[in-house]
Amino acid sequence: MKSKFLIAQPWIGLIARLILGGVLFVAGYLKVGTPDKSQMAVRAYEMLPISIANAFGLFLPFFEVAIGALLILGALTRVVAILGGITMFAFIIAISQAWARGLNIDCGCFGGGGSVAPEDTRYLQEILRDLGLVFLALYLIRYPITKFSIDKNPTPNGADTGARGDVE
Amino acid sequence: MSKAKNPAGGKDNFTRNLVIAVVLGVVLIMLVPTILSKQSDSSAAIPSSVSVEDGYGMVFNKELTDVPFIEIYEDFQCPACARFESVNGAYVEELITTKKAKVAFHMLSFLGAESQLAANAAACSADQGKFLQLHKTLYANQPSENSGAWTSSYFSTLGLGLGISSSEYDKCIAENKYMGWVKNVSEEGAKRNINSTPTVFINGKEIDRQRAYGSLADFMLAVEKA
Repeated sequence: MKSKFLIAQPWIGLIARLILGGVLFVAGYLKVGTPDKSQMAVRAYEMLPISIANAFGLFLPFFEVAIGALLILGALTRVVAILGGITMFAFIIAISQAWARGLNIDCGCFGGGGSVAPEDTRYLQEILRDLGLVFLALYLIRYPITKFSIDKNPTPNGADTGARGDVE
Repeated sequence: MSKAKNPAGGKDNFTRNLVIAVVLGVVLIMLVPTILSKQSDSSAAIPSSVSVEDGYGMVFNKELTDVPFIEIYEDFQCPACARFESVNGAYVEELITTKKAKVAFHMLSFLGAESQLAANAAACSADQGKFLQLHKTLYANQPSENSGAWTSSYFSTLGLGLGISSSEYDKCIAENKYMGWVKNVSEEGAKRNINSTPTVFINGKEIDRQRAYGSLADFMLAVEKA
């Protein structure tokens, strides 16, 4: 049982990396070309002062592209997974407060964003999706050794054993 | 980058660090022009009908003071803006021609490059006194978002269709003369917390989002009450 998990673990890690990294990369990539929209999406949460929200909306897509790419490549996996997890957690808080306060906005996660008609909000789906991504990040923080990553494998056995090492 | 930490004593993390440096480098290189493009440019050319103190809006009946002041924030590519125009556009135009309201159009460009081209063309047409006609025509023939339909040559041709025969207009389109202004309008919109298009204010107060945007009667009522 234990050894089966040891074999599967780096493969699960690979999948986690590709999903979390892929979502972050695509989400960022779709927004880098439209900074106005990204800024608007952040303002619509009504959490931050306008000038800070505008700065945040400008930088966030680039940040997502960077950590998404690093996750896909498997570079500095644990550090990047921590950053990605914090980002997703922050999104959950932001969406939850918008829901609780009765704002009618689109999360703007993949472009879009801003005010929408009340029947077009999808807060629950957005929160569940981000929650799933937080779990992937937690998994990668716990087991940062994954298949096909360019992180060096810190096990004594070296590269040929792939990622079959213990993480502790 | 000296994050290399290699307890195994095997190969170092040179490749990984190089990859990290490349990724961060590329992202930073992409970030710089974006940040630079977000700076307002107070020296940008503006059409004569634009009022800087009204957030770089395209203002009609600027001299009137005791009439309602209608401010419309919109994007030529936004379908909801086309709906607003088809419901209330003719009435707004009538208010302008009969001098019953001061109206400011803020042409935002949330939706990207073709919105910017359209806003630039609108400013060029304003110099020829054809802003309202172009505004109406663009909405009536709105293509789907960033489909490639709106190009410089499209707007040049459109100018002919609106009866503009001026090389100045063509030059204005070809040179993107008012692109600085387009960005300034966006920056002002961002500072004024415009989170949706269309957003319409009457005397500084947003009209009822549930009703007045989609109903001419409700919109007229909002103007009458102001």
